[in-house]
Amino acid sequence: MVGGQAMDSELELRARALLVGSAENLPGAVRSRLTRARHAALAARQARMRYQLQRWLPASAVAAAVLALLVVFVPHGRHAPAAAFDPLIGNVAGVEEIELLSSGMPLNADQDVDDDFYEWAVDAADGAGGAVHATTTNAAGT
Amino acid sequence: MNGFATLATQSAEPATLRKVHLRDTEDGAHALEVFLASVERKAFRIAQIALRHEADALDVVQDAMLQLSARYGSRPAAEWRPLFYRILENRIRDVQRRRSVRNRVMAMMPWRTGEDDEPASDPIAEAIDTGPSPGTLLESDEILRALEQALAALPNRQREAFLLRNFEGLDVAQTAQAMKCSEGSVKTHYFRAVQALRGKLGDLRA
Repeated sequence: MVGGQAMDSELELRARALLVGSAENLPGAVRSRLTRARHAALAARQARMRYQLQRWLPASAVAAAVLALLVVFVPHGRHAPAAAFDPLIGNVAGVEEIELLSSGMPLNADQDVDDDFYEWAVDAADGAGGAVHATTTNAAGT
Repeated sequence: MNGFATLATQSAEPATLRKVHLRDTEDGAHALEVFLASVERKAFRIAQIALRHEADALDVVQDAMLQLSARYGSRPAAEWRPLFYRILENRIRDVQRRRSVRNRVMAMMPWRTGEDDEPASDPIAEAIDTGPSPGTLLESDEILRALEQALAALPNRQREAFLLRNFEGLDVAQTAQAMKCSEGSVKTHYFRAVQALRGKLGDLRA
């Protein structure tokens, strides 16, 4: 018996040898036909795979496009919105700051500034500075 | 390494073919082609013995190849052999059934004279009875012919079990898978087939 469970009988050994021999010595026409059948089977497999690819490709493309749109346009949860960005000029906030610096206008021009307070502060600083200066020169003179 | 290596070691194929199997495990299409090339001749002989008709046998093998590659080509390679032989046996049975129906219908046709009808009795069984006895089988071709006739005369399940186990070299589990039955049934069918062949052919000595 095949498989090593028991010794093959003479009949089984002879039958196998005869059948294997007959399969190896098939006529050329039969072998040719079998080869063609094999190639046809492989071609059918490729055609089937191509068909399946073509069937699923549009659906896959639509799904990928929807996913890409979601990733690009849906805001990301609790994260703060990013700084305004123009694809042509880059970071919009940065450009505005450069324009402000190059315009020559005082940086606090748009604010309500108490000029009297600053003048008083300068005078007070000068007075204190003068006093300190006088104290230091006197100390050095003595 | 996938199941194809296992498959290659299990089969009784030439060593060169086995090397090709092991080398090309990655390429599914090539592996399938090598597999089909390794089984096509034996499959043809199995179909030819069962159907006693060369063209029908070739058609059956081609159908089995097409179905295996189209529907089961993506399965693990270790499953291909039992699957292929299951498909083949189903196709053989389809052809036998069609022939049987056709013969019955043709026999009922009133205008048939009966001259070209197939005989009602089994010609294969008759051929065995009238064929040369084991003692007089001197030529290898004659022995082979007698063996083929004896195999064809066996019940389908016994013939399938004998050819798959003895000729194709499937183990009991693979044969059971191919025949869609239990391993115990395979052993029983095989044993009965050997007994029947021995009764008709002796030990097949020339």
